[in-house]
Amino acid sequence: MLTGSKTTFKVRQMVPDMKERMLSHSNFHARGRDVLGLCCLPGECVLQRAVLVRKKLSAKEGGGWLSGTLFCTHFRVAFVPQDSRKPDDNADPVLLGDHDVALASIDKVVAVGPSRSKLVTPSCSLKFTPEELVLYCRDLRVLCFLFDRLTPDTQAEEITYTIAKTYQPLKPGTILSFQNAALGSIEMKQFLSNRRRDPDMNWFECSADWEQELERTGATGWRVSSVNDRFEMSTSLPRFSVVPQRVLDTELKKTFAHFNEGRIPRWCWRHPRGSDLLRMASFQNNIYHEKDDIRNLELVLFGGQQLCVIVDLGEEMPSPADIQLAHTRLRTLCLGDISSSVSVPDDKWLSTLESTRWLDYTRCCLRKAAEVACLLRGGHMTVVLQEPEDRDMNCVVCSLVQVMCDPHCRTVVGFQGLLQKEWITAGHKFLSRINYHRDCDKEEAPVFLLFLDCVWQLWAQYPARFQLTEHYLLALHDSVHLPLFSSFLANCQRERCRRSQHLPQSYTPVNGLRELPMGAPEEPVDPPFPPVWDWVLQYSSQRRARFTQPVSQPAYPPPLLNGNLNTNLDRIWHNDGLPGSVFLLSRSSFSCPSNLLPWRSGNSGSYWKSHRRAPSSEGLSGLERLIRACSLSETSDSTTTLHDPYEPLLPLLFGPCVRVWRGCYLRGALHAQAFSHPMSSCSQHPLEQLAWEVQQLRDKLAQASVRPHQNQSKRQEPQRLESNLNQNANNGTFLFSSSRTSQQQPSPGRGPAQSSILPRAQRTASDPPRASQKNNGKHTFLFGHQEPQSVSRYGPSPSAKLPKHKGNSH
Amino acid sequence: MEESGSVESLCSSTTTRSDLSSGTRRSDAELRVRTKLQHNTLHSVPKTATKGKAFEKVYKDPSKEVLPLLPEEIIQDAAKDVTYICPFIGPIRGTLTVTNYRLFFRCTDREPVFVLDLPLGVLSRVEKIGAATSRGDVSYGLVCKDVRNLRFVHKELEDSLKKSVFEVLMKFAFPVSNNMSLFAFEYKQVFPVNGWKVYDPLAEYKRQGLPNESWRISKVNDHYELCDSYPAALVVPVTITDEELRRVSSFRAKGRIPVLSWIHPESQATVVRSSQPMVGQNGRRCKEDEKLLQAIMDANAQSHKLFIFDARPTVNAAANKMKGGGYESEDAYQNAELVFLDIHNIHVMRESLRKLKEVVYPNIEDSHWLSNLESTHWLEHIKLILAGALRIADKVESGKTSVVVHCSDGWDRTAQLTSLALIMLDSHYRTIRGFQILLEKEWLSFGHRFQLRLGHGDKNHTDADRSPIFLQFIDCVWQMTRQFPAAFEFNEYFLITILDHLYSCLFGTFLCNSEQQRLKEEVPKRTVSLWSFVNSQLEEFVNPLYVHYPSHVLFPTVGIRHLQLWVSYYIRWNPRMRPQEPVHQRYKELLAKRAELQKRVEELQREAANRTASSSSERTGSPTLSITPVQTFV
Repeated sequence: MLTGSKTTFKVRQMVPDMKERMLSHSNFHARGRDVLGLCCLPGECVLQRAVLVRKKLSAKEGGGWLSGTLFCTHFRVAFVPQDSRKPDDNADPVLLGDHDVALASIDKVVAVGPSRSKLVTPSCSLKFTPEELVLYCRDLRVLCFLFDRLTPDTQAEEITYTIAKTYQPLKPGTILSFQNAALGSIEMKQFLSNRRRDPDMNWFECSADWEQELERTGATGWRVSSVNDRFEMSTSLPRFSVVPQRVLDTELKKTFAHFNEGRIPRWCWRHPRGSDLLRMASFQNNIYHEKDDIRNLELVLFGGQQLCVIVDLGEEMPSPADIQLAHTRLRTLCLGDISSSVSVPDDKWLSTLESTRWLDYTRCCLRKAAEVACLLRGGHMTVVLQEPEDRDMNCVVCSLVQVMCDPHCRTVVGFQGLLQKEWITAGHKFLSRINYHRDCDKEEAPVFLLFLDCVWQLWAQYPARFQLTEHYLLALHDSVHLPLFSSFLANCQRERCRRSQHLPQSYTPVNGLRELPMGAPEEPVDPPFPPVWDWVLQYSSQRRARFTQPVSQPAYPPPLLNGNLNTNLDRIWHNDGLPGSVFLLSRSSFSCPSNLLPWRSGNSGSYWKSHRRAPSSEGLSGLERLIRACSLSETSDSTTTLHDPYEPLLPLLFGPCVRVWRGCYLRGALHAQAFSHPMSSCSQHPLEQLAWEVQQLRDKLAQASVRPHQNQSKRQEPQRLESNLNQNANNGTFLFSSSRTSQQQPSPGRGPAQSSILPRAQRTASDPPRASQKNNGKHTFLFGHQEPQSVSRYGPSPSAKLPKHKGNSH
Repeated sequence: MEESGSVESLCSSTTTRSDLSSGTRRSDAELRVRTKLQHNTLHSVPKTATKGKAFEKVYKDPSKEVLPLLPEEIIQDAAKDVTYICPFIGPIRGTLTVTNYRLFFRCTDREPVFVLDLPLGVLSRVEKIGAATSRGDVSYGLVCKDVRNLRFVHKELEDSLKKSVFEVLMKFAFPVSNNMSLFAFEYKQVFPVNGWKVYDPLAEYKRQGLPNESWRISKVNDHYELCDSYPAALVVPVTITDEELRRVSSFRAKGRIPVLSWIHPESQATVVRSSQPMVGQNGRRCKEDEKLLQAIMDANAQSHKLFIFDARPTVNAAANKMKGGGYESEDAYQNAELVFLDIHNIHVMRESLRKLKEVVYPNIEDSHWLSNLESTHWLEHIKLILAGALRIADKVESGKTSVVVHCSDGWDRTAQLTSLALIMLDSHYRTIRGFQILLEKEWLSFGHRFQLRLGHGDKNHTDADRSPIFLQFIDCVWQMTRQFPAAFEFNEYFLITILDHLYSCLFGTFLCNSEQQRLKEEVPKRTVSLWSFVNSQLEEFVNPLYVHYPSHVLFPTVGIRHLQLWVSYYIRWNPRMRPQEPVHQRYKELLAKRAELQKRVEELQREAANRTASSSSERTGSPTLSITPVQTFV
């Protein structure tokens, strides 16, 4: 029988966090609530508000409408739903609420009247009362507000004007007032200067950070050089670089001149099978190569390896201009802007999408990265990424390779570290590429957004292998458009340091004093701009909770012994056994042009000439076999890759497999979708939903097992149950990673001694000052009073590092 | 799995066992994994070697162990040294075996062992390509209904009297053309569940609350005299007599009168289906037909309007007047509003799928993939169908208005539209059993002409009546499962299984053109139902994300930018499409994990409750009560 009333849910009732929130609000019902309800930042003032406004919810939010009050401040357009929580005055400021948009993100304001719609600019005047207000954002969101008949006409008009006048079509100078509106107040400055950085992620700002990375990857034969500590050798490189141990700083100094902008080959990452990944700019050709220089150059290039493959990213990859053009087209296509005349009919959508070439570029980056990943898997070589400037595609490919190969880089903490390493400190020109100031249009190119798209493609093909989620990628995507973060407000580390007036004052002896652990007074005192990684500042805890999902297997492979996991792989190229063979990988094939290393060609390269023989074809074919593996994608059964954490996630690059990031680019497509299924949305991945449900179950389990735990009479039993569960979970391979067991088991004797069960323990011995400090922090938490909760929270817990939000979210 | 080994063997023998998308390679990998598990060893190389040897030995003594034969399946012919021209890995030499059910090709020289295993039912055409070459090679092309083509080469037999394996193949691939019966009539597997009992029309109408004060179940078509392509039980307004129905039937094409398909449990708005009225060029009218539509409208007190959805493009509907058909004129049917849904006919759809096949098989041009896809218009057709169904569902749900849906004959586009609208409106049809009922009702009992559209066992591959109408419907369902991942109890594998057995002719479900024919052929007695197979191993088909909301209406977004090509069906033969993650496996793990957690929660709750009961004197207001079991729907 069909029974029951046919209710049509408003979805927001069913979205878990919303529901929870609504439940918690029923308590407030009786009390008089502040009608305004906007939680302002310190110093933020409301310029205009309109009541009884309805916001159209996107498909992701569940569709339908939400009514509330619309505000415009100096900093943002805020929307407060009617039933939202009364702002807690003591809470830390959060820049943007769930329904807010920063003025700087707004690209266009369109007012829709009874019969027409109009693009509202600061100078124009409206000749009608808007019924609807549509905000087109730079981050491809489209916000749509509907004024109710009860909204006073004046309010509707006023707020439209105010937004149009206040939002800045970014141009030189306006950015500052925006930044001041957000972070300029004294309270805010104070608040920011008291904030501590996330100690769990690697910031790659001091030499210890790099040493930690060397150790994590098990790389030997490399050392951290601070020869560029004062940016004297290269202005765009970070202060610290990792170079072969055998090269002394004095020798190293001579190599800088041989590379464009002094961007010498630097170590980035070691594959568990013993290959090293390096990146560098192009060679300076018009320079005389001295004999000693050549030895050093070769050393820097080869590290400890016998074989070196240079991967040329200059030619076949899209140029920044290409990327910019593609992105502009993609935006126009996806926004389906009412105000512009270009509107693509639905039946031409596919071919128009293709003609943007955005997907081609995504595929191109992924393919290159997959090739490099396959090479690295071969083991025992250095793979050097070379790009003329070493500041765009090198960043993309180098970090993609690591996302593919290193499970750590697929966690939030690891991914942020990766971006610090390969983008922020490495000197990707964020400021110019994003073009916040609108003063370098020629340089503008969303290279970073292309990278995020590539990561999303990987994520979409291997959702269960990532601890970070699409929500996280989206949050990062949106933050790029806010000119508030130190991470993006500079072109290189030098600028960043200079801005915070924190150029190291005193001479630091090479390999001398170690940097103090972070969080120490060294922390800049007057930095108006927080790093983008301070998510607590940007998003509510509900949204942050969706940044991670449980991972199917230990995200962290067991510690490596000198990085030499490699054993039985056939070392094809070793047969031809030439020390110092160099190959060029370009257009998916290998070659060995004579002028590949400028110092080897011509007469100047006499030092190595004796060694140079034409590399045998076997060597080439051996390498090509490695590469072919990736292009055919037939290397391995998915059954085997699944269990080998070192197998790279090779993306399918087949036409139908590279897809448009609907969750991001089509957020603006406001479609008439009256209702949607309560538990669904168009783009949310099922895994998220499932993770949530399992989380619920685990919470209940934790609750249920804690309660008897308090009961003194039968203490042992629930513990046994719980550990049983964990064992089963491990066998079942899915939701609980193995090392959690060790954290979860309530141990009779709590205390620092227990640190031996922590996966982090190996590190402790070798990296005393930092590690122990971290571990101390961890002990107090893990073995403190809050054990049940620590159990219930899923996060990057089975890790070398602690779950990120623990400290501040409780 | 332990319920019957035979079910297991059936699984591994059909090509459907491809883990949702990959082709033979994948099932191959599975095979290897299985052997690995059996022998509990990690050295795969020697293992497969011995396996190869075993196969050789067995081959000399043709035994059933190698070929997982079904009951009543008999090897008809086998040939060594046949070369399969694989478009992805190149020529492969192996042995080809033909049974009365399947074609089985196996090459043991390769690592991994290459196996091609397909039911003969999927073959739409077998032809010799070109003449014998100088080396005496003959080439055969096999065109399949499931979006792939196969090509084999083998030596011309010197003994010209002996039939080549391909002649045998042709005979068994097209049994109907050769006056033999389909394999479904020989297949005698017994399943623990009888799928023929899934659909009982009266029970289904009863679930909908029928008959009620406005609707009755008429027996006028009990012997299929009124309309031979309709089911025996018809739901019509109480105010219309059987005699009037007879008169209506002469006015509607093929006698397919307007009858109820679904009724809204609250508003009483109904979805009614029929064929086109025989208006003709002269604008004929039929008093009883007008009265019937009026009665349909009156049965719903909520609305004084009736929407007639004509699935065709306006031009086609008008052109049908030449052939005596047409559409309801607004003069004759007052209070009715006619809407055309612009969905093209079976010939356009067939052509579109043909183009799609060209684009996706065997090779895909990466750089022009999207524009090539666009040129097939396949997604556009999908969009129009979904959009039409959406409008119907919206009228019924939001407008509380009854609707009449028809196309020309009311068995192709009408079936697509009503069944999709029903899926949107009624969550029952989103469960596994409900979906089976929906297919049995809207498609099978209402006479979608499966035999004609698919040409089971018929070698006339150019037949203009063939068309992928049902495939299109399943594609639309798949699109909805993408948009509402938690709303459907079944998973993608379920849909693919249905499509695979749509062609395989292993089960009787999709045979014949109508309920009447099926009864005449005694299909339910003589064959096994697909649902017997499915319902005997439901866990394979369950979507672990399913959440049951009993009364929730789905309104999908239908823009092309929100639709996707169903790559894991159309491109599953391409090894480059191998799934990145074993989704199917994971689904099962999730289900098991969920059940396990659920059990444990209950245990702990019981325990906690016991304990609090025993120590209730110490603590009052135990919070245990607040713990309610988390609902799972496994």
